[in-house]
Amino acid sequence: MEDRKHFVNSLEKLKMMLLNMATMTRRAVENANQAFQDRNEGLAQAVIDGDHAINDLEVQIDNISLKLLALEQPMARDLRFIIGAMRISNDLERIADQAVNVAERTLFLCQHPPLDPIPAMEQLMEVTGDMLDRAIKSFVEEDPKQAISIREMDDTADHWTMVVLQTLIENMVQNTPEGEKRLVNTRRSVQTIIASRCLERVGDLSTNIGEHVAFIVTGMNVKHQKIAF
Amino acid sequence: MENAQKFSARNLDFYYGDVKALDDISITIGKNQVTALIGPSGCGKSTFLRCLNRMNDLIPGTRVQGLIHLDGEDIYAPKVDVVNLRRRVGMVFQKPNPFPKTIFENVAYGLRVNGIKDKKSLRQQVEKSLHQAALWEEVKDRLNGSALGLSGGQQQRLCIARALAVEPDVLLMDEPASALDPIATQKIEDLIHELKKNFTIIIVTHSMQQAARVSDITAFFYMGKLIETGDTETVFTRPSLQQTEDYITGRFG
Repeated sequence: MEDRKHFVNSLEKLKMMLLNMATMTRRAVENANQAFQDRNEGLAQAVIDGDHAINDLEVQIDNISLKLLALEQPMARDLRFIIGAMRISNDLERIADQAVNVAERTLFLCQHPPLDPIPAMEQLMEVTGDMLDRAIKSFVEEDPKQAISIREMDDTADHWTMVVLQTLIENMVQNTPEGEKRLVNTRRSVQTIIASRCLERVGDLSTNIGEHVAFIVTGMNVKHQKIAF
Repeated sequence: MENAQKFSARNLDFYYGDVKALDDISITIGKNQVTALIGPSGCGKSTFLRCLNRMNDLIPGTRVQGLIHLDGEDIYAPKVDVVNLRRRVGMVFQKPNPFPKTIFENVAYGLRVNGIKDKKSLRQQVEKSLHQAALWEEVKDRLNGSALGLSGGQQQRLCIARALAVEPDVLLMDEPASALDPIATQKIEDLIHELKKNFTIIIVTHSMQQAARVSDITAFFYMGKLIETGDTETVFTRPSLQQTEDYITGRFG
């Protein structure tokens, strides 16, 4: 039997598109975080403007995957890869949407004086960024162990999200002056809480990507199960 | 495997003269299951199929070593009545091969060979078999017409009816749909799903999709060896061995 060169090339193309999308998504998250910390409106706007390219890639990956499923009737790992590619691109797109959301909060916050620095927010950015990095790396290296290990970081992400929430609740309840300033302070706090929730979602979706990678490599569905490799 | 064992092969070797075509095959085939044998041309899957009702005995210079048990009995034991074995283990071939007789006579043929003469019994059994082969509605008004006037797909279902008429336990199918168009193929595949309620079916197919669609168990043969056997779903989604993966994903050679 001949090697399925055309098909194998198509799978390779799909993988490259997915990596491209992953890189763009990672950059969007990084830039959104940077814009948030530096109160950089230009960078925040760039994240928002760049989202359509990621959306386009998701549609392209869907189309290619559908075509390969229909025309090539893939089996085994090829089948798992294509299904995994569709799931991963869907999660990447949602991660990019979270980055856009953080960027939008940043644009709002830039209109007002800054809050005091919140160290937990930085920690949250770091851990969720690491989770996304690890998800992408596990995909590149086809490493299910690394992919599954992302789950362990999720508790840390949840912890820092909670610390951000508590810090800002305290800020709103205890330290706000009366009148207009109170309103502004509450708005700033709420927008920051929303941004922290977005980052927490980045962590969750990165965990999902890790589970998709484990499925592609091992064929095992590890969702909602404690499985170690 | 939950189903009771129907066939069991143990350390089976098969030779065409000096050429070893099957090498140490051990497999258990469950009752009322569809088992698909897959693998590239020359891998031994059809040879193995023909071992199951001793069709290879008809080829000069062939030799079998090892054991095949049907319902616990050695089918290669000297006392075995091969004609009776082939009645219990019917076969359908790649190309439909109806006899140049009427539709009725094609189905009644095996019954007459078995000595059934009573017209009513013959008629009942022919009708039952044509129903089982999902052909009755299409031919009930022309049972005395020539079988050769049927379409390819109908002829193949007639051959299945002919095999079923003698009430076998097992049906061996050697690429039964490879000469048929997609609609006729679909009918054969639907029929296989129906027939497994009452029969054990072993099918050789070159179509991986067909194996995936119709079978419960898939066995992958390569160069005379049985490489991997497992639930069809598992074999086609996450096979255990790289060789199986390479074959079913088309990366062989």
